[in-house]
Amino acid sequence: MASVMDLEALLRPPAMEMPPYPPKAITLASGEEMIVRQASREEMPILLTAIYPLLLVERDYYDIVAARLYSELLAYKRYRVKDEYVLVGLIDGVLAGLVNGRLVDAKVGMSYHTLTIRRGLRVGSHLFAAKMEYHIEHCGQDEVLIVAESPIGFRRWMIEYPLDKKYEVQHELGGVPSWVLTRKTYFDAKPRLVSGRRPVPAEKLAAAVIRLPGEDAVRLQVTGEKGGKA
Amino acid sequence: MRSVYVIGAGMTRFGRSEWPLVDLAAAASLAALHHANLGKVPVNAVVVANMGAGRINRQTAIASALVDRLSLWPAAAEAVENGPASGASAVKVGYQAIASGMADVVLVTGVEMMRAVDGLEATDFVASLSQPEAEYIYGVTLPSLAGLFARLYMDRYGVERKHLALVAIKNHDNAMKNPYAHIHQPITMEGILTSPEAVVNNPPVAEPLHMFDCCPVSDGAAAVVLASEEVAAKLGAARVAIAGIGQATDTHAVHERQDPTDLKAVRLASAAAFDKAGLKPSDIDVAELHDAFTILEIAESEAAGFFKVGQAHKAIERGETKLTGKLPINPSGGLKAKGHPVGATGVAQLVELTWQLRGEATGRQVAKAKAAYACNFGGFGNNVVATVLRKEER
Amino acid sequence: MSEKVYAFRCTACGLVSYPKHAVCPKCRGETFEPVEIAGEGAVLTYTDVYALAIDYDTRYLRLAIVELDGGLRVTGQLLDESPKVGKRVRTTIGVVREPAGKPIYGLQFVPA
Repeated sequence: MASVMDLEALLRPPAMEMPPYPPKAITLASGEEMIVRQASREEMPILLTAIYPLLLVERDYYDIVAARLYSELLAYKRYRVKDEYVLVGLIDGVLAGLVNGRLVDAKVGMSYHTLTIRRGLRVGSHLFAAKMEYHIEHCGQDEVLIVAESPIGFRRWMIEYPLDKKYEVQHELGGVPSWVLTRKTYFDAKPRLVSGRRPVPAEKLAAAVIRLPGEDAVRLQVTGEKGGKA
Repeated sequence: MRSVYVIGAGMTRFGRSEWPLVDLAAAASLAALHHANLGKVPVNAVVVANMGAGRINRQTAIASALVDRLSLWPAAAEAVENGPASGASAVKVGYQAIASGMADVVLVTGVEMMRAVDGLEATDFVASLSQPEAEYIYGVTLPSLAGLFARLYMDRYGVERKHLALVAIKNHDNAMKNPYAHIHQPITMEGILTSPEAVVNNPPVAEPLHMFDCCPVSDGAAAVVLASEEVAAKLGAARVAIAGIGQATDTHAVHERQDPTDLKAVRLASAAAFDKAGLKPSDIDVAELHDAFTILEIAESEAAGFFKVGQAHKAIERGETKLTGKLPINPSGGLKAKGHPVGATGVAQLVELTWQLRGEATGRQVAKAKAAYACNFGGFGNNVVATVLRKEER
Repeated sequence: MSEKVYAFRCTACGLVSYPKHAVCPKCRGETFEPVEIAGEGAVLTYTDVYALAIDYDTRYLRLAIVELDGGLRVTGQLLDESPKVGKRVRTTIGVVREPAGKPIYGLQFVPA
């Protein structure tokens, strides 16, 4: 019988060599600066804490995205998904949003989720663009498979880039028809959708430690439910 | 005709409502009724301004529903639908009822629940006010009419995107001081126009207009209580008079206007309102304009007579329309940042101006405001209601 | 391409209006004869609109107001990769909207 350690070796997917995502700084409409950087495996617990209150927020499909993202981050933390990465957007260290995905093989990427906490400042657009940038420019991939779970997502990715249909390929996120971003789509869209400055000064990067907005703040920001309260 | 006074004003916070339509309307109504402090004086009539409940909320006859929710039977009740000018039109109906002697006290409530449907549906619902066979079928939406207008206007008068951005920044700043505003988010010139990231931050919506030139889609309600001079005096209410209302229409299709940059209905409605009030644009201390798009604040401020045609953008550069300027425009944050629940907007403009004239606009009070002007812009300028309010000394 | 778009000529004063009015805006006449809208003109203004209503799945639509030779102004879709105010265009008829898969024909403008 195999030992516990041997079993872990069987259960843990073999990892591929992945280049790090070089951090960048983005000036938002508010004039605030958002640092976009890769989150380490050690940072998954704090991200899981951030997502938890959104599991029950039905508005704009936050519950589905949060539930799936939760499992994806947990799987990443516990080594149960192959070649995943997570990027975060931080404003003064406070988590504004996060994106994740994984590499299927050297040439094909699989986009998972985009979750925006700070809404109204195109944070989701910036982070999704950073994710595409990572696959195409830094990992040198040819294409990224993408699905949308919400109408907002559909307009942001399928229409705004715009993506091509690739229904014959099964995306990992269930039965939703798959779309694809190619190198050409990416570079065509880059001037209007991808931005940011590099390198990020070391002291700024050192200060970009993930902090969480309060649970109520998260809920209010994502639902925007405030109309009616006089 | 009898004089008419605004004796109470209230509204809900604009944004996304957790409440159903009639509860939202009731909340604003109660705020206004409490403000008016009517005591045993009965409300004779209720006028509700609303544009789309029949379509987007699948509810009709909402004036009857509101009377019921407020237990105001047997008050008369009717709804007014006049596109985005529904609000000021409803106030006009209330004004007429009192001026003619048909009523002594009228509650006017504007309400819209646009977030009940997704953005595409909301855009389409508003677009359905455009000319059906000559505009709507081509994919015309309100932003597109504003874009067509903006290109002509900007080319002719040398208005640049930075001027539009100055309007947006000002209105977002004002909204920060308004607890009822939808958007509490300051924006900067760097963030929306001059930084390399601005191209992503502020994408085009209808060239040359971009995201931060356009109002958000909001839920919200606003209400005013109107009363005859006799009732206002009996209650000892602050003397905010409806000094004049003017209304004018123009061609349905924008392309039919001889000069599409000339907001003729704004000009005519404003002139009529000023004439009735016996005031000039230069007498106005504070104004609420219908800035569904930043370019409209500029163009309306000229058509209303506050600036010469082609000069408003220069006044904006000089800061004259800021809260601290010569003529503060949109101290509430305007449609741009306070939000634009279409049926509620025209009423909300008068709520803000009533508070301003009573000295109750905490945090954004325009000093010594005595006369105020509102432009409620329906359609794409084909149905405009202008209102002048004046504070009378007792 | 079978559909046509019509303006309306007042039989009393000759004014051509588009869209239709039941009463002539100039002489208040009440009888009109249809005039097919076709020909060349110049772009008065245009916009690329990204805030689209239902029935469209494109990234944006390019709309324009065109002043036709003779002075009639019309709104329609501009099919031109390099649009410019004042540029000469001619009208054509195409599918401008497809609610529930049912095509609606209308005016489109292409470079003259």
